[in-house]
Parts: sequence; C-alpha cells; structure tokens
Amino acid sequence: MDGLIEWIFGAARHSGVDALIDWILGTKLSWFVTTYGSVWPILESLHFCSLTVLAGTVGLFDLRVLGLAKGIAPSTLHATLPWGVGGFVVSAITGVMFISGMPDQYFYNDAFKFKVVFLLLMGLNAGLFYWREFAHLRTLGPHDDAPRSAKWVAGASLLFLVAVMYCGRMLTFYRPAF
Amino acid sequence: MMNLLAIFEQSAISVWVRETPSILAFPFILFLHTLGLAMLAGISVGLDVWLLGAKSRPPRALLVGVYRIMWIGFGINLLSGLALLAAYPAKALTNWVFFLKLALVAAALWVLEQTKGELLVATGAGTGTVNTRARQLAAVSILLWCGAIFAGRLLAYTHSILLASEGF
Repeated sequence: MDGLIEWIFGAARHSGVDALIDWILGTKLSWFVTTYGSVWPILESLHFCSLTVLAGTVGLFDLRVLGLAKGIAPSTLHATLPWGVGGFVVSAITGVMFISGMPDQYFYNDAFKFKVVFLLLMGLNAGLFYWREFAHLRTLGPHDDAPRSAKWVAGASLLFLVAVMYCGRMLTFYRPAF
Repeated sequence: MMNLLAIFEQSAISVWVRETPSILAFPFILFLHTLGLAMLAGISVGLDVWLLGAKSRPPRALLVGVYRIMWIGFGINLLSGLALLAAYPAKALTNWVFFLKLALVAAALWVLEQTKGELLVATGAGTGTVNTRARQLAAVSILLWCGAIFAGRLLAYTHSILLASEGF
C-alpha cells in the first residue's frame, strides 16, 4: 500500500516538475541562454564575481561581529552591505538564467536542493539579525564586543554562506544521468 | 614538453586527484579553491568597497586580522590550485588564459600589499583619512579580482587539450 501511494504521488510530483521543466525550456530566456555559446561562460563569471562581493562584504561584517576584526564600529562596516545585496541580486539573476538553460539538471539534482535550503536559511538568518540584533549592534563602538546572540547569528551566516558555496560546487558532480 | 606532461599525468598525485571517485578528491579540492577565493578575493573586495566609502583609515588591529584571513585564503588557493593543476597539467599549461589568470592574481596581490602599505604609512593606521591613492588602489583591486575570476572561469571553455597522454 505504501509503495502504491509513493508510486502515485511520486509520479504526480514528477509529472508536475516535468511540466515546469517543459514550460521553462519553452521560454525566450532559455532560448537565449542555450543558443549563444558565450552566454553561459559569461554568466558563470558574473555569478562568481557577485558571489565574491557577497562573501566579502557579508563575511567582513560577520567577522567583525564575531570579534575577529575589532577596531571599527559594526555600523561602519554595515555600510558596505548594500554592495553585498547587489552581489546577491546578480547571483540570483544569473542563477535563474542557469536554471532556465538546463532546468532538468537542477530540479533533479540533490546538491541544488540543499543549496536552495541553505539559501533559505541564509535569508531567515538575515531576517533574524535585523529583527533581534541590529538595533543594538548599530550602537556599538569600534572596540565594543557584540552580544553572544549576535555572534551566533554571525557564525550561522558564515556557515550558511560556506554551505551554499559547497552545494554550488557540488552541482556538477550530482547531475542526473540524462 | 607534451611528453613531460604526459608522464606527469601518470604520477600518483595526478591520477589520485583526477580519477578517485570520492567526493573528497577532485570535487572537494574544487570547493576548497572556491572557499579560498571567498577568503582572499572576497575579503579583499569587501575591504576595497569599504575603503571607497570610508572617511578614516582602518586601525592596525583590523588590518592585521583581515590580512591574516586573506593570506590563509591564499594558502588554501595555492595548495588547491596546485592539486587541480596536477590533475590536468596540459589543460592549463597549454592555455594562455591560465597565465593571464596567474598574472591578474599576482597583480591583485601586489595591489593588496600596496594598499596595506598605504594605509599604515605616515600618520599610521586608525588616524587620518583614506587618501586618493588608497581609493585608487581599491578600485584597481576590484577590477583585478574580477578579471582573475573571469579568466579562471573561462579556463573551462578555452582549453584545447585536456590530457597530454590522450593525444593532441
């Protein structure tokens, strides 16, 4: 019985994903990404450049909160985060373009699923930071220690960032064999 | 040269990195290269972005701590890069884009040290304002790292030989 239910819902789930894949492959964006040979390498380069900006600005801020780069007020370093947001936006746009080009290589890829999970965790963690920690952190001086709760959030931010990078790198090696 | 590369491709280290099916071999080394990139180029760009908008110089303690992380990142990149080179030496060494990448990385590291010197000289770190030269170096640094990343990614698309031992 369990096997039958799994077979029915598994098939339904697959047919839903396959329909989505077919729709994506019919879009102009998918055509654009797959038709011109130079688009994919340029997108990859932009994806890595934007990741670097994101990791650098967010990472530097997290390191300050953790106490590894003291001597400057957290609010001062926080001023660079709009660049990190810009990096994230470019990463997201290029990421969507990758998916539009080869959706089956992502939707049936375990590394991609984990990457999405860690991206969501990154977002939730950022929300938690602005909800619970930021108001206090912006009042800290150059040599003040951040509260323990803020350090946990900063540590989690770095951890999720590394996990996203790891899953991103593993995409190639967990590609479905079709 | 191709004969030498073909012989090297049969060495234990080259075969291990290239052919070990474990996720801890080639895939993990590739991840370490990305992690090193984030620690070196990422933090460097983060510092550059901050310098472009900063009013006062960063204190010595911050610079020492940040530069230590960047040099650890460089160490990870150097070792993982050598391992990746060992796996496919002909792929890299017969491609001019590889040498362009190395040149851009070397230039970015030189600019990184120039920036540090600029921030620590004269009145010393933590005092005085960020001068125009430091801001110029920061802008050049961002461009150089982006160039190095572009060259690194294009390596996968511009090589004409994958393995010397498989004929060319």
